[in-house]
Amino acid sequence: MQESNLIVRRIKDGTVIDHIEGGRGLKVLEALGIDGKDGNVITIALNVPSGKFSKKDIIKVENKFLQDFDTNKLAVISPKATINIIKDYKLVEKRRVFLPNKIEKIFRCSNPDCITNSNEDIESTMDVIDKTGLILRCKYCTRILDVNQLKYC
Amino acid sequence: MNEFYQKDIISVKDLEKPQFEKIFAATDRIIQMDPNERRELGRGKTLGYLFFEPSTRTTLSFQAAMALIGGTSIGISDVSLSSTKKGESLADTLRMMSIYSDILALRHSLDGSSRFAAEISSKPVINAGSGTEEHPTQAIQDLYTIKKEKNKIDGLKIGIIGDLKYGRTVYSLLYALANYDVDIRLISPESLKIRSDSIYEIQKKLSLKESTNLEEYIDELDVIYVTRIQKERFPDEEEYQKVRGSYKIGLDVIQKMKENAIIMHPLPRIDEISTDVDNTPQAKYFKQAEYGKFTRAALLGLILNQNGF
Ligand SMILES: [Zn+2]
Repeated sequence: MQESNLIVRRIKDGTVIDHIEGGRGLKVLEALGIDGKDGNVITIALNVPSGKFSKKDIIKVENKFLQDFDTNKLAVISPKATINIIKDYKLVEKRRVFLPNKIEKIFRCSNPDCITNSNEDIESTMDVIDKTGLILRCKYCTRILDVNQLKYC
Repeated sequence: MNEFYQKDIISVKDLEKPQFEKIFAATDRIIQMDPNERRELGRGKTLGYLFFEPSTRTTLSFQAAMALIGGTSIGISDVSLSSTKKGESLADTLRMMSIYSDILALRHSLDGSSRFAAEISSKPVINAGSGTEEHPTQAIQDLYTIKKEKNKIDGLKIGIIGDLKYGRTVYSLLYALANYDVDIRLISPESLKIRSDSIYEIQKKLSLKESTNLEEYIDELDVIYVTRIQKERFPDEEEYQKVRGSYKIGLDVIQKMKENAIIMHPLPRIDEISTDVDNTPQAKYFKQAEYGKFTRAALLGLILNQNGF
């Protein structure tokens, strides 16, 4: 058994988000709105050695199964993360996060004069214009946005 | 088949060279058309304009264009008369206006307002200026002016002078010009330089150099596009006066220009171009305003007529 698997306890039912880029774990929690208020056990491991040179973060959320919509959010923050769905101690589904062409309702546009930041009834929508460089553009004001500086909706 | 039929005109970024060329060709036809035939293009149609930011010139240009093709205009050109002051959302105002009209023209200070409007409105929307960077019909008008007055766009050296940071026409013009093979010189005071992140997508496509000194390139430019430098942009009066003086186009500057160069300005001008320049052969800014009426008429005609004209 790998060292990383020993750090956090096995879970019966829930989701294990593995291979989160080291240091991004807390951002992932924020993006997914996981705050522990529902009472479920959440285990977080930061800076777990992964391979020879790198570190990763791991999050285990018990009794919660992440949907595709959540997965999309993850892709922006940590594109290499994997989602493992556990049921009755068994891995029933393993999927990679997928960076969509469009990101909706996750980030607030950083342009204060953007219509999406007004009182109008409108959802933030961003087009992914460069998947490798992770460059987003607001669909409405067309500003190029720096993912690392974006705030969540 | 006319690709503009019932389409929105939101951003120059949505248009490419073939589209620009089609609009230019339609404008040529509008100008040559028999007035009676021209009035058929908009007969029985109503343009609804919503100007949340006053702009007399753009309002007039749209009204004149609609009248030219035989249509009618209704609208709000002053936000103080608008129901949004009473708390009505932009969305509801748009819904109302799309009931009363066949096509909408929107001017709004927020970025992205036109794209939002197009989603809300059941009628096609033309962006008549939104936020800080979008003014597609101005860009179309500007390119058409260059094409008519210089007989081409490719191969020209174009200088854009003045407030490049806050001038919404500048960004739209640059995006439009990125479809052509042109050499751009951006001339502005240090504090009013172009926002480079705003031209991110076209930076690689454009051959572009910046300078704070008008003298540096004046003798090699084919087109000199002058924009207003507004007093409000400067922290103090002294700085403003200094900058204003060094970018002013007078007869002395004309002397240094290529003989067949042209001077453009989106108007209104304050004193960036002295009035004695108006009668020189290089001055094309009033011609540019006239072309604006025709390009808008062409656009309205294309959007309203399935089979074009
Ligand atoms: Zn935006």
